[in-house]
Amino acid sequence: MEAFPLTEPVLLILLSLAGHPRHGYSILKDVEQMSDGRVVLSTGTLYGALRRLLDDNWIERLEQKNSSRGRQAYRLTSRGRKNLQFEVSRLKHLTRLASLRAVTKEA
Amino acid sequence: MFTLYRFLLHFYPMAYRGCFSDEMAAVFQEVQLEAAKKGLAAQFRFFVRETTGLLLGALQEHLREFPMRRFAMRTEFRFPKSTAVLMMIILAGVVLAIDKGKAIQASLPAVNPSIGPIQPAQHTFLPVIAIVFLFFYAAGLIGWAILFALHRSGTHRLAELASEQK
Repeated sequence: MEAFPLTEPVLLILLSLAGHPRHGYSILKDVEQMSDGRVVLSTGTLYGALRRLLDDNWIERLEQKNSSRGRQAYRLTSRGRKNLQFEVSRLKHLTRLASLRAVTKEA
Repeated sequence: MFTLYRFLLHFYPMAYRGCFSDEMAAVFQEVQLEAAKKGLAAQFRFFVRETTGLLLGALQEHLREFPMRRFAMRTEFRFPKSTAVLMMIILAGVVLAIDKGKAIQASLPAVNPSIGPIQPAQHTFLPVIAIVFLFFYAAGLIGWAILFALHRSGTHRLAELASEQK
């Protein structure tokens, strides 16, 4: 079970799938791009995270008629989207609080 | 390098391999092609990243499966929670009945002292319960030993193999 707070790779994978369904290589590239090259996932890490997310029903495999076994696309489920929104609002609250506290300290 | 990658995939549990190995290999090839264009240093970083990622991933998957294999009760051996509650109620009833019996026995006057009270019959009741308990305990132990031996023999993997072949 994925627990809150989410790890950065898992959060980035979910954000990558938030727009539209993607297959493994596309997720790897998108994660790298979103993090400005800071997070580069190996295939082992990526598929470990995808497996956990599939097990927890946060994402699902997209049924495609023409897709080979090597190119499976994934998409967020409604549960995954809800959890992602929850995590984003948690982070928003945290950053708002951090900025407020930092300003208070400076003042 | 790709051959090594395919070899390292064998460290993953069989169920995981059946589900993801082809996909992982395909993605690996795409990333490898890209790394080859970026030069030797990028290729080296890619190699280290993939090898460590794969080995750690395999370890995590085994650790993830371990408690499930070891302690999880299979669905065919599960019984509803209500059964456990019912068993507890029955046990409580038996204990209360024994206590009540003892109280009745103590309250009755010894009408015929030569025959004596009904003590012997009372005393045989507890050993019977103990014997029944021991019998079921031993049966449970034997059942567990059989299941454990079957699990160790790996017969359950035959079912996984059959489903994968389909």
